[in-house]
Amino acid sequence: MLALAPRLAARSAAPSSSTLLRTTCRAPRNAARAFSSSAPARSQPLPDASGRDKAAVGVFTPKAAALFVATGVGLFLYFRYEKQKLIEQKQKELEDKQVGRPNVGGPFSLTTQDGKTFTEKDLLGKWSLIYFGFTNCPDICPEELDKMSDAVETLDKQFGPIVQPIFISVDPARDSVSQVKRYVSDFHPRLVGLVGDYNTVKQTCKAYRVYFSTPPDAKPTDDYLVDHSIFFYFMDPNGQFVDAFGKASTVEDVVARVQKEIGVWQTRTGKTT
Amino acid sequence: MGWFGSQEKAPDAASRSDRQKCWDSRDAYFACLDTANVIKPGDEGKACDASKGKYEKDCARSWIEYFNKRRVLAVQQQGVLTQANNQLNAAKKS
Repeated sequence: MLALAPRLAARSAAPSSSTLLRTTCRAPRNAARAFSSSAPARSQPLPDASGRDKAAVGVFTPKAAALFVATGVGLFLYFRYEKQKLIEQKQKELEDKQVGRPNVGGPFSLTTQDGKTFTEKDLLGKWSLIYFGFTNCPDICPEELDKMSDAVETLDKQFGPIVQPIFISVDPARDSVSQVKRYVSDFHPRLVGLVGDYNTVKQTCKAYRVYFSTPPDAKPTDDYLVDHSIFFYFMDPNGQFVDAFGKASTVEDVVARVQKEIGVWQTRTGKTT
Repeated sequence: MGWFGSQEKAPDAASRSDRQKCWDSRDAYFACLDTANVIKPGDEGKACDASKGKYEKDCARSWIEYFNKRRVLAVQQQGVLTQANNQLNAAKKS
């Protein structure tokens, strides 16, 4: 193709797209010429009586043609094989995107606001948004939970109920099942509120890299605030961490991020979950 | 909220309406502080007693502590930001 450039430039200073198209179509022939013109240079030193005649006819001897075709086919097959290998590798990388993914999440067993057991297995088959907070939270938790609920509502309209909002209490001393039940009822109708005893919550928070400061000996009647991480987590249908949203993310940011991820998932698996 | 409840009943953090009530009372009290040119809640003397009483009734003590601290911090932060901006503008001019 390089040898083609000067000629092309000579024909037209600014090649239109049609010229480009034509030259592309002619490429094999030109490539053949480029290949064969270098062939005689190598075959010339060989003592050959009919060399002159051959040069007159051109270099299209059956042998050269066969060699050219064989090389072409070989290269074609080789590149196709390499390309296939690359696609497979990419596919595999997508399938288990473990590398470079933060190690957030893990096994846990908590109780829902309806008294049912909820474990990390219940995250499977659905996208989830998980927020850690407490019901006596003055302003940030309700704001974040409202944001999460709004995002889920928008996504529900587009995809149906495939994004599960979850609230995990980091205040085991005061947040009873009934307290959390009342609390979550003010937010998205599908919001799951989870509670557990101090050690269970501590374990869960450790798995999710969440910091919280409830004193272990706090009494249910104490009036205190819990200092805690205020991110909410976005997990995929395999229960794997995808992203975290902070106070700066808007509802639109969250929706866009989730939509993007569902899109990627869909092209890869053909399903939305 | 019963007929007699509003006096004795502590604000319920798990209820959206109670939270809203606390925030509204807080905003009213803080607005009063702004008018009185007071930053730190408690420094206003008797100027905002009416709104302060409602604030203390509608919000839990821990929330009041938190909001009051936040107000002071927010003002300080604003001061630092303004200062930074001024310095930035001065640096641009020179």
